[in-house]
Amino acid sequence: MVSKQVKISGRQFMVLTTLFTIGSAILIIPSGMAFLAKQDAWIAALVGVGSGFLLVWIYNTIATLYPRMTLVEIIETLLGKWLGKTISLLFIVTLFLSGPTAVLYDVGNFLTTQIMPETPALSVNILFAVIVVMGARLGIETFARSAELLFPLFILLYISLVILIAPEIKLENVEPVLEAGIGPIWPAALSFISVLFLPHIVLLMIFPAVNRIDNARKAFFNGSMFGGLMMVLIVALAILVLGPDLTARSIFPSYFLAQKISIGNFLQRIEAIMAVMWFISLYFRATIYIYGIVLAIAQIFNLKDYRPLILPLGMILVVMSVVIYPNVPYQQMWDGTVWLSYTLSIGLLLPLLLLCIHVIRKLLSKKRTESKG
Amino acid sequence: MLTHMTVILGIMLFAVAIIFLEVPYMLRKRLKKELWVFSILLLLAVGISSAKALQRDIPTPLDWITAVYKPFTDFLTHIGLIK
Repeated sequence: MVSKQVKISGRQFMVLTTLFTIGSAILIIPSGMAFLAKQDAWIAALVGVGSGFLLVWIYNTIATLYPRMTLVEIIETLLGKWLGKTISLLFIVTLFLSGPTAVLYDVGNFLTTQIMPETPALSVNILFAVIVVMGARLGIETFARSAELLFPLFILLYISLVILIAPEIKLENVEPVLEAGIGPIWPAALSFISVLFLPHIVLLMIFPAVNRIDNARKAFFNGSMFGGLMMVLIVALAILVLGPDLTARSIFPSYFLAQKISIGNFLQRIEAIMAVMWFISLYFRATIYIYGIVLAIAQIFNLKDYRPLILPLGMILVVMSVVIYPNVPYQQMWDGTVWLSYTLSIGLLLPLLLLCIHVIRKLLSKKRTESKG
Repeated sequence: MLTHMTVILGIMLFAVAIIFLEVPYMLRKRLKKELWVFSILLLLAVGISSAKALQRDIPTPLDWITAVYKPFTDFLTHIGLIK
């Protein structure tokens, strides 16, 4: 298997995890959360990071129990050959339809509604898909290195966004705190983890590529928490600057946030530069998805090389990005309902099921050795 | 009609380019199973692309996921996790 030879460092894995965590969430998440929890969205985001802590702990536990195995191999070991392969295939097909295609849809939708209204979304999607396919085809070592190179730029843009928007903060936007009680916090927190942490299950596909397992665990954990806290700040800034109503009503609140930057009527209209930030994070989210999915397909069918599959898959990816959501209301309905139950099932129920089966098998094998002895 | 034909021709040309890029490598390395999965994926890609080119609205596969997950979604709505 190709994945056994390639190696990335712990730091590269951390950068990839952070970029995957922020991914498309930075563009779309504040809006939905402000709709659900109003001015308390930032509290919900903190609750989300807390639950993300537990989720990453679960993923780390599974990865440590079966080191040097990808998710597909773990499922096959625990559930048996045929059931395991069937479940993996169902998981991968549905993940392909709702994960990377949605990221590509977000890219096209964002560019054509905000920056280039005359360009058809399909042409933007094709261009973006070409670099995603290139990255996945060159392999994880290459795109991990490019992530390492682009990460300082990403951080620089993020910090400048936070600093430049700080003068616009109005504290009365978050008052009154917990007006409606803690009830609305939970659905908003679920929508936060459904984009930020639950899809992390796909990172278990590249987990074995990290050169040392203890490094990988630490990197996975730090990267997720780092990305999560960066997103808490973005949600909080959107609420503090735009207010809950405006945040809920705009489709891309962080872009709106960048438009609001105005230092002495001199430094303004720099949102297009800020957009580079989301291109970086969206690119790595899409590439990690596609790489993980292609690797999974190769392992399900026992293939020696995953690379020939990427180009046809990229072609399907482009078409699907314009097919999956017939219109924006459908997308919002999907993101607000089925996406949540889908990611809960693959990101929480599947790993819990795997852990249960692991424990049961351990107990059974212990009993067998005891009765023998 | 003519525009449909050009779009489908473009899709075919793209598929042929992918075949030229990938198939010689797989034949040289005798990767038989890879060739099978590759062909199935490419057929699927050409099929879906042509369908999309001929008909503006093809049903979204997300509707199937929605149908399968309906009980679970309803349950989450019932306990208040989905609004």
